[in-house]
Amino acid sequence: MADRLKGRNAVVTGAGSGIGKAVSLSLAREGANVVCCDLGGGIDGKGASTTPADQTVSECKALGVQAVAAYGSVADFKAAEAMIKTCVEKFGRIDILVNVAGIDRAKMLWNLSEEDWDVVISVHLKGTFNTIRHAAPFMREQKYGRIVNTISEAWVGTVGHCNYGAAKGGIASLTYATAWEMGKYGVTCNAICPRAATRMTMGPDVLAGYKKRVESGLWTKERYDEVTHVAGPDYLAAIPTYLASEAAGHVNGCIFGSAGAFFSFWAPARESAIYNRDWDNFGPWTVDDVEKCMPNLLKGYVNPAPPEKEDKKK
Amino acid sequence: MGDKLKGRNAVVTGAGRGIGKAIAVALAEEGANVVVCDIGGAVDGSGGDKTPADQVVDECKKHGVKAIAQYGDVSKFADAEAAVKACVENFGRIDILCNIAGIDKPKMIWNMTEQEWDQVVGVHLKGTFNFMRNAAPFMREQKFGRIINCTSEAWMGGTTHLNYGAAKAGITTLTWGGAQELGPAGITVNAICPRAKTRMTDDPKVREMVVKRVEKGLMDPSVLKRMDREMVDPSAFAKIAAFLASDDAALVNGQVFLTTAITIARYSKPAEITKAENPTEGPWTMDMVKAAMTPAQLLKDYVNPAPPAPPKA
Repeated sequence: MADRLKGRNAVVTGAGSGIGKAVSLSLAREGANVVCCDLGGGIDGKGASTTPADQTVSECKALGVQAVAAYGSVADFKAAEAMIKTCVEKFGRIDILVNVAGIDRAKMLWNLSEEDWDVVISVHLKGTFNTIRHAAPFMREQKYGRIVNTISEAWVGTVGHCNYGAAKGGIASLTYATAWEMGKYGVTCNAICPRAATRMTMGPDVLAGYKKRVESGLWTKERYDEVTHVAGPDYLAAIPTYLASEAAGHVNGCIFGSAGAFFSFWAPARESAIYNRDWDNFGPWTVDDVEKCMPNLLKGYVNPAPPEKEDKKK
Repeated sequence: MGDKLKGRNAVVTGAGRGIGKAIAVALAEEGANVVVCDIGGAVDGSGGDKTPADQVVDECKKHGVKAIAQYGDVSKFADAEAAVKACVENFGRIDILCNIAGIDKPKMIWNMTEQEWDQVVGVHLKGTFNFMRNAAPFMREQKFGRIINCTSEAWMGGTTHLNYGAAKAGITTLTWGGAQELGPAGITVNAICPRAKTRMTDDPKVREMVVKRVEKGLMDPSVLKRMDREMVDPSAFAKIAAFLASDDAALVNGQVFLTTAITIARYSKPAEITKAENPTEGPWTMDMVKAAMTPAQLLKDYVNPAPPAPPKA
């Protein structure tokens, strides 16, 4: 036990399992009261159960703090409002918001249904907006707040679930913008980009998929070992917990790679190659102009997915 | 005019005005047939009018290509499907897709309504998905396609419209991921990140502010000069999109380009630039995290974008 968050009140979404649960317990261990929000659904967002949230509440209480459950969907604007208000009404104020709730519906773009797009974007991206939107007025008023969002390495592009990647990219931007807007009111907003063994990353179906990749020669055994040798989320929970503490007041608008073995600072995209024309003497770009400066602009570039050679196709 | 896109067929969203219009015309100038998509609404997404799309259709036709209008709402899956099918049914196939349609409803986070969020994310992000999703099967089948999305520097943060920024970041990720998924089928997916004078960006107050700062010596005069060079009609750089849509750009995939009248820049992806190793076998502790979170280690060169305001005297 420790007391670095003593007297602080937190809302954690996706608190019923995985990273959300590990963070809830870590916050409680440092003395924070926690609203444990979880719909209790499957990885694909289907179904609901009060058991996961209730279980985390019991475990938090066992650490000597107050804890209450909220079972709504973060994708629902009003349910998100209720989560924030529960914290304020039960505990007096809201100091900490940790957005972890997420689902996955993996399909290639050309097979992705509108519903699979909508549901994944709603839970991750709108869910994160919803809770921040409702917490912001309270935090701005009290001139203190700590917001920690969850993104994924999929934010730099991913194969097989562009809905998930796009939502995570959106959350990264939301993190930067919230940091800019709220920083002067004593509120920080950061994000973790976690790597941890959870039901989403290491469930039986996922592992079976990895094994198939090795069997088909797509992955080496070494790659399999690297991907599956991942610690549980309790190993990284101290990182968001630190970001939720008063001591992290100087850290705002940052994204941290977070795993058991390491953590890292993600720099945003930057202009890595620039071609400037003569400012005082130019007309509209022509296609030839553009083509001519491409070799310089593309220095060091590797096509992430070149066209398949005809002879490789069946 | 050129013929770099002769025989190619394009769908351009937001083509009734601004950047979309400039690109639609640039593609037509290079010989492409164009489906001109525009709901004809206001910057905030309200209203609708067929005139903007119809006018651009006329303008494209002057260049000797075929052009038709679509007035649907890009945020509606079925409308996007109809626009893509209109291209295939009228012109034979779809080679080029430019997603430019966008709206803006600026508010600070604590004042933003659910509707303002939904609408902006719906038009930009879902709109871009809707068109990519419906074009992808055709492009995969024919083993050729050029997709050009439109992002914004707001993608990396800023203030007053995080709905817009988040949608643009989502589009950026969709560009990177789409390039990986579709590249093997001979399809490229890139994005432009434009600076231009359009009805969305044309704000005399911004220039006045910069002029004042330059006069006071708070800002380098080159900032104003650059601004004046860049805040011009988007036709100045529309051929950058035309190049990305051409056969010659087959090797350019998954890239984001800043595009202005005077500059093209290529963006890197976000990257992990500093790293701290867990010195133990156990979980991270708060103290270990705190020790690593310093300018000497993880926070090298980091500057807080918005430190707390000092207490009022």
